[in-house]
Amino acid sequence: MDSRKILIVDDNADIRLGMHLRLKANQYETFFAADALSGVTEAQKHRPDLIILDLGLPAGDGFTVMERLKQIPLLAAIPIIVVSARNGLGNQKRAHEAGAKAFLQKPVNDAELLAVIRQALGEPAGTKKPSPYDQGSV
Amino acid sequence: MTETTRRRTELTASLSHEMRNALACIHQFGNILVDGLAGELTGEQREYLGIMLENASKIRRALDSALDGNDGPPKELANKSERVSKLET
Repeated sequence: MDSRKILIVDDNADIRLGMHLRLKANQYETFFAADALSGVTEAQKHRPDLIILDLGLPAGDGFTVMERLKQIPLLAAIPIIVVSARNGLGNQKRAHEAGAKAFLQKPVNDAELLAVIRQALGEPAGTKKPSPYDQGSV
Repeated sequence: MTETTRRRTELTASLSHEMRNALACIHQFGNILVDGLAGELTGEQREYLGIMLENASKIRRALDSALDGNDGPPKELANKSERVSKLET
């Protein structure tokens, strides 16, 4: 079975690299975008199975990306997981209203992120044991 | 809201955002090392990395209680679902 494709949209290059390493180790193929505009164009180019989306982005923001994707029939159904450093309540509610499958606040617990990804992709729960130091957002 | 309060709220939100992104990187790469994704660690290396990550978690908890909650109730009154919302069922 081919690897599932995940587009990571985040303006922080370190975050993109860290997510790439974690996702690659779990047999996902990753693509990247560093701003809102390229988030949409990369989604059109690669047709990912899932998008991990930051909210604070140059050239728009995460909400702009979700709005644009909803207007493109081929991309409208792609599940989106918002991973943001912004404060929770207002942004979480807005993200859900915009169609996000989940909202996680940085720093993110790797095991939880993987569980949310698997659930969004309809995959069985993973067997990865959480690191004893993996206390990101829980 | 007074101008001073507004500025303080903006500064707090900005500080929280910057610190959370930095902490996210520390957690991400620390756990990548702990999990052996960049090669096996010696016991001593693992121990020191564990100390680093535990202290990063302390900063996160302090951040949760001191800086956040600007757009909602204080974090000590909030449950986990405020920070990590599950998938819709």
